[in-house]
Parts: sequence; structure tokens; C-alpha cells
Amino acid sequence: MKKLKYIALVLAVTGFTACKKQLEEKPYGFLSTENFYKTEADANSALIYAYSILPDLDYYSRNFITLTESPTEDIEIAAGKNADEVLLDKLSATPTNSVLRPGFQLPYVGINRANLVIAYVPAITKISDAAKNEIIGEAYTLRALHYFNLVRLFGAVPMHLEPVDDPSKTNLAKSSIQLIYGQIIEDLTKAAGMMDQTRRLGRVNQVGAWGLLSKVYLTLASGKASGSPGYDFVAGADEMYAKAKEFSAKVINEQTAYGLDPSLVAIYDVNKKAGPEHLWDASTDRTGTNEGLYSKLPKMFMPNLNFRLPGGVFVPGGFNEFLTESALYNSFDANDKRKTQLIISTISDVNGGNSGTGPTQNLSITDSYTRPFSNKFNDSGWQAGDQTSCNTPILRYSDVLLVYAEASGPTTEGYAAVKAIRTRAGLGDLPPGLTVQQFRDAVLQERSWELCFEGQRLFDLRRTHNIENILVTKYGKSVTGDPYFFPIPQSEVDRNPNL
Amino acid sequence: MRTIYTTFMCVIWLCISAATALAQQRQVTGVVTDQQGITLPGVTIAVKGTSAGAVSDAKGAFSISLPGQQATLVFSFIGMQTREVQVAAGQSKIDVSLQNASRDLNEVVVVGYGTTKKSDVTGSVGSIKGSDLNRVPSANVDQLLQGKIPGVQVIAPSGQPGAGATIRVRGYGSRSDANALVVIDGIPLGDAGGIKQVNPDDIESIEVLKDASSAAIYGSRGANGVILITTRRGKTGQARIGLTALTTVSTLGNKLDLFTDPVDVASINNESRINGGEAPQYVGQVIGGTYYPSVAELRGIDPTKQPWPYNTNWVDLVYRNPISQSYTLSADGGTDKTKYSVSGNYYNEQGLAIKNGYEKYIGRANLEQKLKSNVTLGVNIIATWTKNYGQGLSVDRNIIFPAYNPDGTYFHIGSNDYNNPVQIANEVLNKSKTLDLLSSAYISWDIVKGLNFRTRISNAFGNSISDNYQPRDATSSGYQFQGLGTVSNYDSNHLIVENFLTYDRDFGTKHHINFVAGTSYEAQTVRTSSIQGQGFVNDILKDENLAGATTYLVGNNSTKSVLESYYGRFNYSFLNRYLFTFTGRTDGSSKFGANNKYAFFPTGAVAWKVNEEAFMKNIPQVSELKLRGSYGIVGNQGISPYQSLSLLGSYKYFTDGGFQTGYGPPFFNDGSNTNGKVFNGLGNKSLKWETTRQLDIGIDLGLFNQRFTINADYYFKHTTDLLRLNQIALSSGYSVIQINDGVIDNKGFEMGVNAQILQGKFDWSVGGNFNLNRNKVLNIGGGNSIEAAQGDIEAIRAPLNYYINGYPAQVFVGYLFDGIVQQTGGTSPVDGTVQKAGDLKYIAGGPLAVGQNGKYIIGNPNPDFTYSFNTSLKYARFDLSTQFYGVKGNDVFNFSKFTPSAQLQRWTPDNPTNLFPSVNSTRVNYASDWYIESGSFLRIQNVNLGYTLKPQTIKGISNLRVYFSGSNLYTFTKFNPSFDPEVQENGQFGGNYRKPRTYSLGVNVSF
Repeated sequence: MKKLKYIALVLAVTGFTACKKQLEEKPYGFLSTENFYKTEADANSALIYAYSILPDLDYYSRNFITLTESPTEDIEIAAGKNADEVLLDKLSATPTNSVLRPGFQLPYVGINRANLVIAYVPAITKISDAAKNEIIGEAYTLRALHYFNLVRLFGAVPMHLEPVDDPSKTNLAKSSIQLIYGQIIEDLTKAAGMMDQTRRLGRVNQVGAWGLLSKVYLTLASGKASGSPGYDFVAGADEMYAKAKEFSAKVINEQTAYGLDPSLVAIYDVNKKAGPEHLWDASTDRTGTNEGLYSKLPKMFMPNLNFRLPGGVFVPGGFNEFLTESALYNSFDANDKRKTQLIISTISDVNGGNSGTGPTQNLSITDSYTRPFSNKFNDSGWQAGDQTSCNTPILRYSDVLLVYAEASGPTTEGYAAVKAIRTRAGLGDLPPGLTVQQFRDAVLQERSWELCFEGQRLFDLRRTHNIENILVTKYGKSVTGDPYFFPIPQSEVDRNPNL
Repeated sequence: MRTIYTTFMCVIWLCISAATALAQQRQVTGVVTDQQGITLPGVTIAVKGTSAGAVSDAKGAFSISLPGQQATLVFSFIGMQTREVQVAAGQSKIDVSLQNASRDLNEVVVVGYGTTKKSDVTGSVGSIKGSDLNRVPSANVDQLLQGKIPGVQVIAPSGQPGAGATIRVRGYGSRSDANALVVIDGIPLGDAGGIKQVNPDDIESIEVLKDASSAAIYGSRGANGVILITTRRGKTGQARIGLTALTTVSTLGNKLDLFTDPVDVASINNESRINGGEAPQYVGQVIGGTYYPSVAELRGIDPTKQPWPYNTNWVDLVYRNPISQSYTLSADGGTDKTKYSVSGNYYNEQGLAIKNGYEKYIGRANLEQKLKSNVTLGVNIIATWTKNYGQGLSVDRNIIFPAYNPDGTYFHIGSNDYNNPVQIANEVLNKSKTLDLLSSAYISWDIVKGLNFRTRISNAFGNSISDNYQPRDATSSGYQFQGLGTVSNYDSNHLIVENFLTYDRDFGTKHHINFVAGTSYEAQTVRTSSIQGQGFVNDILKDENLAGATTYLVGNNSTKSVLESYYGRFNYSFLNRYLFTFTGRTDGSSKFGANNKYAFFPTGAVAWKVNEEAFMKNIPQVSELKLRGSYGIVGNQGISPYQSLSLLGSYKYFTDGGFQTGYGPPFFNDGSNTNGKVFNGLGNKSLKWETTRQLDIGIDLGLFNQRFTINADYYFKHTTDLLRLNQIALSSGYSVIQINDGVIDNKGFEMGVNAQILQGKFDWSVGGNFNLNRNKVLNIGGGNSIEAAQGDIEAIRAPLNYYINGYPAQVFVGYLFDGIVQQTGGTSPVDGTVQKAGDLKYIAGGPLAVGQNGKYIIGNPNPDFTYSFNTSLKYARFDLSTQFYGVKGNDVFNFSKFTPSAQLQRWTPDNPTNLFPSVNSTRVNYASDWYIESGSFLRIQNVNLGYTLKPQTIKGISNLRVYFSGSNLYTFTKFNPSFDPEVQENGQFGGNYRKPRTYSLGVNVSF
């Protein structure tokens, strides 16, 4: 049995020394929270990642516009398109509506990314205080923007203020609307104190934070004043209007980089993204490799034909998903440049192909399929394919100027602000002597013309308690669901027992 | 392991021949062959009643001295039925053909880390010899197994050259990876499906380990069954050179359902657009630069127009009757010390679609050298090279328009049309090449009697490079990016080090023990990289100079996983009647969470050979009666590495004049949005194996010296801790987490029957398999009773297959079809729109809370049963075999239901049918049982007619068989005969690469 000893030896040699270490995974080519967030470059990169959710096609480059524009009188969904979008158009979205899901989810993805910056960047030492403050301030602003979107879309929702890094942290109960607004104001106030005024394409700075803050206050003010559902907690509308005026005034007066662009068309020119109106955009570029890095949003508005835009840009065919509604189209003054210049009614070389020619077509607002469409989203450098450099505006100067007007009421400053907007559009002044309510209604109407298709109208109608007055009574839309808050998507309800 | 027996026989032969040298009266010579006329070396020939005997030589020839004028010769050979032949007085030449003993009880089966006698198997092991595999031309081993082994279902929906199949052993029990493990010559290769590394001509045998007891030796990879493929080995005393050649012509197997009259195309298109509220196109107008003729013009009745010149026959342009070939040259043989087997194979399969083909070379060498009397060294190498090029092409393109412009360029219908199949075939580059090297070396040491130690180092290397280029003019992606070129690389290496001891010994006359104990270490690395260039000056260089592109997309990735294992199997038999087996394996896998790295999989089995009992000796008709039972736990680790970790993904944002890269937690947007480098959702440190508990009860019955055999098994598989991606609260900022959750049961019954009805000059055997599996989801989705198996399907705007508690996996979910709306009015219960005459009428409000309105379970893609039968006839030198394969009771969701012939029967005001809706270009479709069709079919899989020449008819050729074979000859089905009813496992059908009907002429020669 001597041989058995050999066997034992052989087994001992060839058998491996079992240790758990061999089974530990050391991933190749991946960063983890342990080896990241060490340098200024890491901090910047974490912030870039937080921004990168904004132009996702499920956020500002498509879904957010579907969600906020189709329920209003701005656009309707073409027949035969997604049934859920059609239902949304009637404001009768149920929790399973597929458009709601990304509208709910994507802000949280952005929030988690912002929370990582807020949680990890303060501990980085190899970075100047100014740079660190700028990065953290932008992260606070991003978080505030996402919660501002969530609370306006869905009302009370879970509020994550720390990164989710463990399965035990995934399910939070809802926070009240009051708590969420409190957090938004706290974040934006903090952020405005941390950031500078340097303009960086696609990023927000101190001026943007002020502007956003003014909109938050205006939302609270008008929500309270109009008795819109959900704003009972607001202590005083006037106090909020004053805050809205205070911060919008900062945007107007305490900076030199921003103002009204004298040319309406220039605002939307992809070659002039650094124009004076752009406080904050979801930034894209046609050289991107995925949708989200580039935008297909223009195609949503455009007819399913190939044609040339008035400037000669060839459009290889739209999706024909968003049809301009006659309610909006007919509400414009015939001479309003926002209609004559920013809504395209004539296309040329229809079906002529990339190099061919074809007839010119006048688009009719009553046609079921091919209607005049927004000129706010296109790409003057459009090449072949679907890729465009079209940014979606998050915050524009004229938006803040109208916040200022609405907050100021029928005062000299208020009239002056509206006048600036109307003059540029080729219109005369508002009638003098309007009451506060009349003036604010006029500003609301002005916002509709100025900001149509930009994802503002639904929120404006909601915060002023005007869904029934305007959508139903004035324009005869049918509204069957809760028009003020969308239901929380079923997929969240199913997965989060703490809701 | 036949080699052992061959060696054994040689030893006996030596003893016998020494004895027979003494007496010499009369010499008889002859040749021994098998049923196919292939000569058999090493056959023992004994003179009955004497000790005289002989052994046939390498060419099957023998010479024997008879003691008297009349004698009876007994021919015996492993794997063949022993045959007694009378030698008449004066007869000096006698040629004998031996029958395969198809169910020989002494046959050896491979069971993983060893072999065992078939009669000693306690678990459920399906076994098939290489010569009994399907005789269809095939690039993969997969199809050769279809219908061959009870409990093994092979689903082969595609007829594309080189296409693999799905292999399921005893049902579908995993959502992450339900594929069986494939082991080639001891090398665990990975998932079944597309087993391309083995030349069918080289296969000695395939064994399938089905129950827990037999699969447990592969522990955490055994839950879905294990397929063991053993290639040929050299045999002592035999040197043979073989050549097989097979030439195959493929033809279209189905009568196609396509438009043949341009008038139908135009008028239906116009009607469809008008019904959809769009302007009709075929009114004699130019759209996008293309002239759309009016219907009148197409009819040739418009006096102002020339008759329309085109009616393109796309089938003629796109399909062909290609010729495919396969050649194998092999040599094997050996001496007492050295055994070898080498072979080379060239396989070239041409697709039905033009410019689509698959080529393969396999080289294989196997060498065994006895270093000492008790030490053997072995080397086994298989090298496989494949090339796949081209693609499937559609033939349902608009026949109104031509394929080419007058100037010879490709015709496009308008400026956004990129579907000209002839252009795609000619201009789109789509090519991939693979190289696989399987190699192993072992040393086997017989330490003491019965005790053997074996160490084996194996390596499986795989590499592939694919080239793809889409020119700007040929595809929409090519147009979108102005030329899109991609080069992808894949490289994997799998190292396996194994050491195991085998002990096999009788204790006294009553006890027999056999055990195996060993360890193994496996490390697998995978590296991938891809470079994509978008935007080229022109299309001339294709993907040859990606640096010339405007935009690049670069990706690379690498993973490594480690598996550490200890395994053992203990067999004990008492009185050769009562058999006990205990098998277990401990696996430690790097893929799993820090809290669950190791798992142990124990199993046990018992068997009772009833026919060995004394009371059975009175019933000699029963040659085998064995009852088997086994129970145990096996696992499945079918996920990718790193799924338990929280890693950072990256994505870009355009700022400061360019794209900047950011890092952070990755985000799955339901898989539909490839947001940069996503890897997983939230990490899960508790991730672990899927666990399957399986009970198996079986019976093996053989009658009349195994002329009639039945093997039947009942099994119950209970799989828990299903590995799956779980959707988590959206507000977490993640979508998914990899978790263990869910329970699926599979229970079933499988049976194989074989009968040798006639023996002798006229030989007839029949056989059949029957598989019945019932699959049931017991729990899925963390408290939710319904979970979609996929994301939204564009055509129906919802998922189709679901997992629902209490129902089979992957059932179809949708609305009920209630005929066609005959009069416009009322609102659709599905989306609230006005129902128009000609629309499908739905019934909503079903019990399943999905979609805007409740849906119903509308179908089940799982078959009631699958079955196959074969018959084999031999007369003299002719042989004829036929194989049938059938699937019964599954539902198919046919996305292609509204075929041209159906459109011609559409609803119109004049044809108020309830079968087909009107045509409508803007209709939104929903899943309903209108789409559901029966997927049952019975196919004449193969008919093979062969003729074997008399040995040595041609000098130097010991054997020659020529045969003619037809495959996929006819399918009995109620499914639309324009399609093949064999569809993918989830029952969705939307048009496959058509499966050809093939006719082959083959020759097997050995020298």
C-alpha cells in the first residue's frame, strides 16, 4: 500500500489549494465606486454622467415632450400611432400607460447620478474649492430640476437624497408635495450660492439656478392663488410671487451674458447654441453615435414625406407623430412671427429625394396627416439620416422674462417685460389697465405662444388651475383622467411596496 | 472504451489460436461484415463444441480449421449479436453478416469521468452511437439528434447554412439559461446549440445525462442535462482508411404564398391606404422619384399608357437550388502500444438565398501511447475553422417594380427604400470566421489493480472575427450613417485541469464497487472588441479602412470566470442485482455573490435488475428488466460574470465643443435602449445558483434477447431560485437587479421503443421515441403573478409571452378575437377608438391586469408531446431507412398570418367574412387569438436508400456503400403550408430562413 502514499502525494500536488480568493471577481475594464471619485477629472466625469441622462430619447429628446405637449392644445398624436400616446392626448392616462413610465423613471436615474456627485465629490481633495463647488452646485441644480419635473408631473413621489447602492435602499415611501418643493428650493438656493456665471454648453450655472428657482416660486404662487390641486400647503401666494420676482429679476439684472435674441429663428439655430436665450439646454450633436447623443425629436413633428425646409435643408422623412393642433395654430395673431417664422406651412421639393426636385406643398392645419409643424426643432446642418444636433430647451431667457412679468403683475416692470416679448414677435403692447387676473391670464397666453412645443404648456395650465377652463371649455378637448397629476406608473406601484 | 474490450478479445484470440494450431482437418475461409457490409476485424469465430477458433483480420477475413465435415461456427463481436452458422459438407467459403445488437447489455456508455456498462446504469442516460444519428447533411450536431433520444427536444427553426438549434433536455426550467451542457471528449464546452466543433462522421457516441443522479457529476451546470460527445478512437489491430463524400442539392421545401399579379398588389395597397385614411399611391403619380402606375395601367386597359412592363419574380432572383458538399477522410488503427485516429472534414453548405453560405474545415487527431505497462498518455486535438457569409433575403418584395434600373443600377422604390434583396445580397458585406481549438492531454496510471489515477489538462480556445459593411445605397443604416462598417472580434479561452481517481473492484462474488473522486479547476476568459466606422467618402473599401470614417465607435470588454470543483461518484452493486449510486459535486463559482460562492449537489440512485433474480430464470423471454429510481439536486449557474457586482457604466454628453465621457451607475432601459456601456443594474451580493430537484423513475425492459426493448422514464423537476433580472422600483434609479426568484416545475414521461421484427436476409427493425413534458410556473416575480418574458413587440405594441403562476412558461397573452366588425360603430374595448367595419373585433376585460384592459391567456407554445419513429429495412445488400419526427399540440403566434392569399380573402363590404380583416395601412394591431395557429406537424425527416458493394469487389477497397438520401421531404401540418411549422421555443413565428428540402448522394469507402 505504499502506492497509496503516492496517490495522496499526487492529489496533494495536483489538487488546488482551495481558497475563496480565486473566486473573487476582479472585473476588467470597469470602474467601481471604490476606485472612482478620487480626482477632479473623476468629479467632472461623474457630473457629465449626471448630465448625460437629459438628452435621452426617453427624456428631453422625446418622451418628455410627448408627455407634456400631447395633453395640451399644442399637439395631437397622429392616428395610428401609439395608443398610449393617443390616450395621453385625452389626459386619460392610466398607470399602465407606457409614456408615463420613462417620464417617471428617467428623472430618478438623473437623481441617483446627481446624488452620487453630491455624496462623493465633497471628499475629493485634489480639487480647488471653486471647481468642487461648481460641480456640486450643478449636481444640486440637476437634482432640483428632476424633482421639479416629477412633482409637477406626478405630485407626491419618493424622494431619494442619497445614492442607491444596495437592494435594501430601493423602496422609499412617498414624500409630500410640500416636502419635495422644500427640498427643491433648498437645493437651488444652495446651488446658486455655489456656482459661477461661466457659460458651458449644455450645463447650468448660477443664472440658470436663479431662473429655475423663480419658476419654482411662480409655480407655488400661481398654484396657491388659483386654488390648483396640491398647493394648499403654500402659506401665501403673494409671498411666493415676490420670491419669483426676486429671482427672475436676478436673471434679468445680475448678469451680462443673457438676454432676448432679436431674431426668433436664431434661437433655434443649431449653429447658435451659445445665443443669449439659452440658459440651459439638453445638449446633443449629430456626430453622436446613439439616439440621445443626437436627437431625432425634429422628426416627430415632421410629415412622413421627404422634402426641403424653407431654408433648403433636406429632410429625409419625418415620423409624423406630433400634429400641430388647430386650437394653438388658430390662436396666433396672423402677423405673429412666432407663427409665421416658427411654424412651417410650406415645404418644397416634396418627395423629390435627396437630390431631386418636386412640387411645393402648402400644409393645411385641417389635414389629418400633414399639417404645419414647429420650426423650433430642426437642424440647418441636417445631413443624411436621422441624426440632428437639435437641443431641447430646458430654460430659456424669454421663459424667465415672462416669469418676471407674471410675478410682477400689471406693473410697469410687468408690462415692460411682456412688451419686450411681443415686440420681438411683431405684435403691439398689451392693453393698458388690466386687472391682476387679466394681466396674468394675458401672460399665460403669451407663454403659450412663446413657449409652445417646448414642454411648458401642461405645467402652466396645471399650476393656474386652467385645464378645464382652457382645454375643455375653450378648446373642447375631452379629459377623462386626473388632469393635474399623472398616476404613478404601475411598474413602480408593483415593485415598491412602500408607496 | 470499446478499446478495452478489443484488447481483451485479442488476448483471448492469442490463447485460442495457440490451441487450434494442433488439429487441422479442413479449412474454411470467409469475410465477416456488419449490416451495412462494412467488414469487421477482430470478430471471434469459434467452432461450436470445440475449443477451436479464429479471429477475423483487419479486412474482416478469417480462415478456420474445422474438425469434421459438418460444423457450427459461432461468430461473436462486441456490439453485435452473436450468430451461429452451419457449415455444410464441402463448403469452403462462407461470408457472414452480423447484426447490430442495438441494445446489447454489455455495451458501454460514457457517463462523465468514466464509463459504465449499459446494464449497470442506475440513472437516466440516453445513448446513441454515431452511426445511428440522423443521416441528414448538417453543419452542427444539433439537428442530428432531433427525435433520436427520449427526453431530448431539438428545435431547429432556421434553414440558414450553419444555423444552430435549441436543445432542451426534459423541458424548460430556467429563464437565464435553459441549455444543456455540452462536453466533447471530456471538455465541458458550454451551452448546447450550434455544436459545430465535431464532424458527425467522427462521432463514436453521444450520451445525454438526463436525471439528477447522472448529471450531478457536473454539479452546477447539470440542471439542464448534459450532452457528452465522444469522438472515435483508434483500435488495436485495425488500420483503416475511410472516405465519405456527400453531395446535396437543396430545393425550396414550401409552396410560397406570394402575390403573382401586380394588379392585386396595387389595388390592395390602394384599398389599404384609403381604409387607413391615406391617399392611394397607385394612381399614376410620381412619389419620391418613383412612378406608381394606376391599377388600370397595370391591367393594361389604360389606352393612354403602354402595358406595364414589370412583374418581378423575386423568388427566381433570390432563391436558387444550391449544391452543398461534405468530405471526410479518416484513418485509424493501432498496436498494443499505440493507437491513433485522425480525420479531416471539409463541409460546404450553400443556402437557398443567393450569396449565402457556410464553410467548415475540421481536423482531428487522437493519439494514445502506452508509456509503461500501467501508464498511458493520450492527446486529443480538434481544430475547427468556419466561415459564414451572406444573409437571409426576403422574397415578398413588391412585384410591380423591377430589381434593376435600365442602367443596371439597383432599383429603389422611392428614396427611403433600402430593401432590394438582390442589392443586399450583392453589396452588403456580412461575413464571420471562427476558429476553435479543443485540445486535451492526459496521463492515466493504473496504480494497483482496479485503481486508476488520471490527470487531464484541456483547453478550449475559440475565436471569431466578423466583418460587416452596409453601403449607403443598400440599407437604411448604411444610408443613415453614409456607410457603416464594423469589425468585431471575439476570443475566448477555457482552461480545465482535472485529476481523478477511479477504483473498480469486486469483493468476493457478491459485491462490486466502483468509485470516482476528483477535483477540477476551470478558468474561462472572454475578450471582445469591436470597431465601427460611420460615414465614409465612398463604399469602395467597405470595412477595410475604418480609419477613413467620419465617426468611430469603439468597444472592448473582457471577462474572467473561475470554477473550482470537487466531485465523486460511488457505485455499489450487490449480487449484480441491486445497484446503488451516490454522486455529488461541490462547485465554487466566481460568478456568484460574495455570500454564496460554493454549493454542493448531492444525488442518489438505486436500480434493481429484476432479470437477474432466480425467479426470472424461468422466463427466458425477458432478457432485461430493470427498475430505476433517482433523486437529487443539481444546479444551473447560467449567468454572465460580474452580475453580482455594482459597477460603473459610462456615457457621453455634448458640452464644451465635444462629447465628454462620464462614469456612473449603469442604466438598463429595458434593454431596448443601448445607453452606452451598460452592464447591469444594481449589484446583488447574495446571487447564487438555480437549484433543480429531480426525481426519476424508470424501467428498462428487453425481450427475446433484446430484440424488443423499451426504456421508459417518469421525471419530476422542481427548479427554484430561478436566476432572472428583476424589475425594481423605478424610483431607485435602476431598472433591474439580478436575483434568484421563481419556481418552475417540469414533469414528464419519455419512452423509447425498439424492435427488431425480422432478422436474417430480410431485416426489419422499427423504433420510436415519445416525449411528454408538462411545464408549470409556480412562482414568478416576487409576489406578482405575471411577468412578461420580453419587452414590447413592435407589431402588437406589447409583450406576447408571459410567465404566469399556475400556467406553462411563455404562454401567449392578448385579447380574444370575436370575428370581424361588420358595421362601423361602437368603440373598441382595447383602445377606445371607433370600430370600423373590417376591423378585428376584440374581447377585452380578461383576468390578466396588463395593458389598458384586461387580457387573456390566448395560447401555449409548449407542445403536448413530441415523437419520432423510424424504420429500417435491409434486404441483401440494399438498405432503406426512414425517419419521422413530429410535434403535437403547441400553439404558434403567426405574425405572418395575413399573407397575400389571406389578403385576397380580406373583409370588404362585398365579402363580409369573419376570417380576415380589411386591409388598412394605419391600423394598430393587438395580440389576439386571431393570430394563433396550431403548430402540430409530422415530418418525413429523412429517407435513406443505400447499397453496399460486396467486399473486395473492387480490389483494395474493403468496403463501399453508396446511398441516396432525401431530407425534409414532406410535412403533415395544418399550419400555413407556405411556411415550415417548426418555430422557435417561444412560439413566435414571423418568417424564418426557409428550411430546404434536400437530396443527397453519398458514398462511404474504406480501404
